Amino acid sequence: MLAAAGRFALRQPLGTAGALVVLALVAVAVLAPQLAPHGPKETAFAPYLAPSAEFPMGTDQVGRDVLSRVIWGARLSLYVGLASVVVGITLGALWGVATAYFGGISDLGSQRVVDSLMALPPIILALALMAALGQSVTNVILALIILLTPTAARTVRAVALGIAAAPYIEAARAAGGSQWRIISRHLIPNCLASYIVLLTTNVSYAIVVEASLSFIGAGAPPDEPSWGGMLTAGVQAIETAPWMVFFPGLAISLAVFGLNLLGDSIRDVTDPRLRGGLG
Amino acid sequence: MRTSRATAVIAGLLLLAALGAPGAMGQEKPRMGGVLTWFDYGDPGRLDVHAESPLVVQQATAGVYSGLLHYDPEEPTKVIGDLAERWSMSADGKTYTFHLRKGVKWHDGQPFSSADVKATFDRVLHPDFKSPKCGASLKPMVASVEAVDPNTVTFQLKFPAAPFLPSVASAWCRIAAKHVLAKYGDLNAPEAQIGTGPFKFKKYERGSVIEWERNPNYFLPGLPYLDGVKQFILVGGPTQLAAAKASKIMLWDAWPPMRKTQADELRRARDDVEIFQTSINTLFLIFLNSTKPPFNNPDLRRAVHLAIDRQDLVAKALEGAGVPCAILDPKLLGDFALPLDEVNKLPGCRQPKDADVAEAKRLVEKHHPGGLDIEVATRSVGNYVDRAQLVLAQLRRIGIRGTLKTHESAAGFAAFGKGDFTIIATQDRAMDVNDPSGVFHIVYTTEAGSNYGRWSDAKVDELAERALKESNRDKRKALYWELQRHILGRGDHASIAVGWVEGWFFKDKRLRNYTPGVTVYDNNTFMKVWLAQ
Repeated sequence: MLAAAGRFALRQPLGTAGALVVLALVAVAVLAPQLAPHGPKETAFAPYLAPSAEFPMGTDQVGRDVLSRVIWGARLSLYVGLASVVVGITLGALWGVATAYFGGISDLGSQRVVDSLMALPPIILALALMAALGQSVTNVILALIILLTPTAARTVRAVALGIAAAPYIEAARAAGGSQWRIISRHLIPNCLASYIVLLTTNVSYAIVVEASLSFIGAGAPPDEPSWGGMLTAGVQAIETAPWMVFFPGLAISLAVFGLNLLGDSIRDVTDPRLRGGLG
Repeated sequence: MRTSRATAVIAGLLLLAALGAPGAMGQEKPRMGGVLTWFDYGDPGRLDVHAESPLVVQQATAGVYSGLLHYDPEEPTKVIGDLAERWSMSADGKTYTFHLRKGVKWHDGQPFSSADVKATFDRVLHPDFKSPKCGASLKPMVASVEAVDPNTVTFQLKFPAAPFLPSVASAWCRIAAKHVLAKYGDLNAPEAQIGTGPFKFKKYERGSVIEWERNPNYFLPGLPYLDGVKQFILVGGPTQLAAAKASKIMLWDAWPPMRKTQADELRRARDDVEIFQTSINTLFLIFLNSTKPPFNNPDLRRAVHLAIDRQDLVAKALEGAGVPCAILDPKLLGDFALPLDEVNKLPGCRQPKDADVAEAKRLVEKHHPGGLDIEVATRSVGNYVDRAQLVLAQLRRIGIRGTLKTHESAAGFAAFGKGDFTIIATQDRAMDVNDPSGVFHIVYTTEAGSNYGRWSDAKVDELAERALKESNRDKRKALYWELQRHILGRGDHASIAVGWVEGWFFKDKRLRNYTPGVTVYDNNTFMKVWLAQ
């Protein structure tokens, strides 16, 4: 395991840096109750206190500790990012595999649904969904799932179509393999690489969409420690309390940067064409 | 009334006059022309000044209409004639006769007469017509309105009432044309904005801008000075401040006030404005819905009363610019207000909060072991969302876990009016008149226009009515003290007074002859305002 990690680090130094950032993000999210000096919603302090030894990232407009909210924000961002991506990409991948295998009218119909969903600009679709569903963290996850599912369905279907036409699938059919067996034993395992790449590259996307929705007031409720929501509050006092924008902004940038580096590296490692080149 | 004038406002006005235009009113010759740029905090949507209550509705239509009376634009505490040239009161104080100006024309050229006045007040006083401002203040006092002849109108009161003239002068009691009401049925449409005021309604682009243009046939010769007024619809503090900093607006005199940090920011950005601090005669309230769980339980309402730290809310949400806890503001209403020393010793208002919070926690635990989860509503205007987060934090301390639900401005009013909420975390209510009766008839009596919590207390209704009828000032004061003591002492009513709102405002230094009104609704016609070059 360590040797494999060492090889990965040597071959993918940027990916390793990304992995370290992601690990740190996960650690902060998991240990938020232990790491945060104060509650994320605790308004017990004076508003707009500049960064100091007591409040390293200052306080916000209602007297909350920005550091504590940034730490808890990592948990919220990761929770939203992982939950929406795991569910959305998994559903999309299963949808893609199924339509690729069965083809015909079901494929045609389901691809038009995918077309319709993908024709809408993602943030507009997310906004419409949030307006319909109401403002809550759960609904942000639901909106993201609806955004991510068609993308995953389209990508995985393309991969699965190639696999479904392969001779060994033909052979499995000829040997009397059931549909379920062919899908579960042959199609799904061969689509796993694409699935993993979709997972890793979309977590950062989900985090950015969540932050964007919260920034425009349509995401997590305002008192939740969302980095996007913190940016909105910060913009209102950008001259008076620039730290309210700087630290959540930095957190979003670091998280997205780390996740993108890691996602790109995993894509490179799992892509046979690139793998050959790197070898 | 004179003794209850707003000392804080007067001080602000004097300061403004001293700072604003030295010698301007006395020596400078008013200049014709120019367009005043102003802003509304939200999109009014509906424009019926008799049927609506948001400030933006009044702002959108203020210059279009005239009243029988109004507050003197140059001496804003003084009631003077507007469409009424003069008026008289009968010996028993129950009949008022108004003699109207002759030759006044509506913006569409039709002649104005007493029939329009009667049609207006018959409308707002009709028992089935919901008029949360003008109607709510006049209905308890006025029995009937009669047009004696085309230029004379009489009001028959139910009893001699000191607040009658100030209420008639309220910016919500504007006179609408009988033929317009007959044609449109209400005053909501932009086309129905036909008044006798200094400006004609020119344009309303939803969510963007409202414009007025000079009425060349205004009944006061030579007025208005301005060619027009342009009101940008600016939603949200950052947009409003950005517009102010970019010189897009010349005046910020209404709700929401700037906070100190915003005023400081503006001061750094512009040196062509005068920034001043004043009260806007507006009460910051929390409403509990007393008709459904959990706040149909008096213990739960009492728990919230005890838990809310008004001083902390004023310190943080208003950056200290406000008077916490008071039901009547002594700065505005003098000795009609219960002394703050007494108010600040009462449960819920006293500091430190430890004993009150402990008792509140006990009450919540008694009925909901382990606490309870509720939805907390607020409109997403001004800094309401920030205020709501502070309220949520205070409720959490006693085991009430709130989820914030934000409403767009008009949708919020609609939901609150229907009682479609559990708790409203923050809602300012501006007074229509600077009289101690105002807040009770806006918020606390059963029929109050903004009794969102649908709270009813026979003693409050009885005391408020007795105070309204009482003409002896000392007796009136005693009744209002009793009323305040009763409400604060019960501590379980559905409207929690957090504090009276003050804040920072600005005007462009070129603006002349402008003085802010005693309430946020008054003096918004700009009939005598002019722009220096």
